[in-house]
Amino acid sequence: MKKLQTLLIGIISIILILFVCSQQLKKSQGFSSENTVTIYNWGDYIDPDLIKKFEKESGYKVRYETFDSNEAMFTKIKQGGTNYDIAIPSEYMIQKMMDEKMLVALDKSKIKGLSNIDPRFLNLSFDPNNQYSIPYFWGTLGIIYNDKFVSADKIKHWNDLWRPELKNNVMLIDGAREVMGLALNSEGQSLNSTNHTQLLEAKNKLNLLTPNIKAIVADEIKMYMVNEESAVAVSFSGEAAEMLENNEHLHYVIPSEGSNLWFDNIVMPKTVKNKKGAYAFINFMLEPKNAAQNAEYIGYSTPNQAAVSLLPKKITADKQFYPDDQTMANLEVYKNLGSKNLERYNDLFLEFKMYRK
Amino acid sequence: MRKKWRWSNIYLLLIFALLYIPIFYLIFYSFNKSGSMTHFEGITLEHYHTLFEDTRLLGIVIVTFLLAFLSALIATLIGTFGAMAIYYTKKRQMRTTLLSLNNILMVSPDVIIGASFLIFFTFLGLKLGFSSVLMAHIAFSIPIVVLMVLPKLQEMNDSMIDAARDLGAGNWAVIRKVIFPYIAPGIIAGYFMAFTYSLDDFAVTFFVTGNGFSTLSVEIYSRARQGINLEINALSTLLFLFSMLLVIGYYFVSQDNLTKKQKKRRKEQSEVADLL
Repeated sequence: MKKLQTLLIGIISIILILFVCSQQLKKSQGFSSENTVTIYNWGDYIDPDLIKKFEKESGYKVRYETFDSNEAMFTKIKQGGTNYDIAIPSEYMIQKMMDEKMLVALDKSKIKGLSNIDPRFLNLSFDPNNQYSIPYFWGTLGIIYNDKFVSADKIKHWNDLWRPELKNNVMLIDGAREVMGLALNSEGQSLNSTNHTQLLEAKNKLNLLTPNIKAIVADEIKMYMVNEESAVAVSFSGEAAEMLENNEHLHYVIPSEGSNLWFDNIVMPKTVKNKKGAYAFINFMLEPKNAAQNAEYIGYSTPNQAAVSLLPKKITADKQFYPDDQTMANLEVYKNLGSKNLERYNDLFLEFKMYRK
Repeated sequence: MRKKWRWSNIYLLLIFALLYIPIFYLIFYSFNKSGSMTHFEGITLEHYHTLFEDTRLLGIVIVTFLLAFLSALIATLIGTFGAMAIYYTKKRQMRTTLLSLNNILMVSPDVIIGASFLIFFTFLGLKLGFSSVLMAHIAFSIPIVVLMVLPKLQEMNDSMIDAARDLGAGNWAVIRKVIFPYIAPGIIAGYFMAFTYSLDDFAVTFFVTGNGFSTLSVEIYSRARQGINLEINALSTLLFLFSMLLVIGYYFVSQDNLTKKQKKRRKEQSEVADLL
């Protein structure tokens, strides 16, 4: 009994100490219900200095939470329980959230600096007139290659993935729309195609790619490519930026015949509690200086035209991440194809994954 | 006595190597000058500096431990009395039913428990945050405590309680003077099991966090998308050292007890020898 008693006293005192510590920490951060802006963003997707700067300039306190996938974020917001003021999902998820009536329409009169955004990234199919969302970052789908194993002139188009010398040396990102899309693009078709014969042709073409494929993986591609496990990979530009940073032999190409253009946009979920604070944050992020600082920290491409001019030439002249107009013209944003067509994409992709020669 | 060569030693060595090499690899890279784990450039303490400047992360560490200590404490209280209630249930069928219900909770996947808590809490209109996570942790720790305490109760000799009652002890006195001292090792083991369960639980916590509250496992998981920062390596190193300290401390405490007991026995023996 004595042992239990001392243990109990010890544990309670530890709990009290920890409690006081956490209270002290909370107090020093100064949260209260009116001045808090709750932001739900991808992990490590904003320069932490910007949050501090925003707190200082606006007087609001930022409560910052992170998620790791659009789906996780969707469930969390849909279930409620937390009052998120700002969230930053990708374009297809924005459409889904709009359909589910989970977003607040933005009041344009309260947003300053929308003109800073490149008009090419406004008024897109997933959100006409940007009623619900403001672009945060954008990127593309492309090919990453290692110049130790393949020369640059051999990797320019999607069709180059089918080259026989790349046998067992290609990694693909595990996404139905991405992989089906690249096959469609390589045939000169739209990656939003719903034409059955086109889709079937694309899938048949993918079957021919099987001997070249080393793996169909997700986030691990980054690590594999940096460690030179494979010569070529298909992945997103943001991922590519990080790979390139860690291995100078790697390069990123956007096939000129067309590819996917993706977005992560700022939205205001229906759970918003501090609308004023949310608008303040949107305006803050639209300021060219802040957008530029963020883009430099994260390494993704900013849609903010005014910010692009503030960025170092070395970054913006990089065709890999700020492609020329001709390439841009061929990029396509994913359209919501409806659940039936999406199922077809998934089925065909699955068939391709199971295909063995 | 000559030491015997055994194949099992190699096996043991292999297992320990397998378990410890990744940890040492991680610790090694926490001192890396370059920002990633791809190649080693040189030694620096920079990541430890950024760790201590990151008040958000430190705050998360503190609440994670607070949560673990507190939820384990409450779960132990409830679990201990729960085990006693199961043990003293008269009807045999009822008792086995209760026990199987407890076991089902033990083996059901964390993801299911987490999702059901999320649905339940939002249905009740509770705000997600510290209290929701605390309740979830208490709930999934209770079955563990019950399972730790119950065998001790079954080992106990019931005639001790009868004897205590014959000597005029009331209910509370029986619990305090007879049952608790006897099952103390089970309670302590249950507490520490619950503590570690709470500390590294991800699946349940992930569902029921919200409103700015986050624990270490959830935070590290969402950061991992961008490749794990070396700051996390630094933090893991510190946590590893901390748990090592705990183990060493526990070793000395138990060693101390043993020597005291041994001393006492020796003293008694010599006294007996003197008398003879």
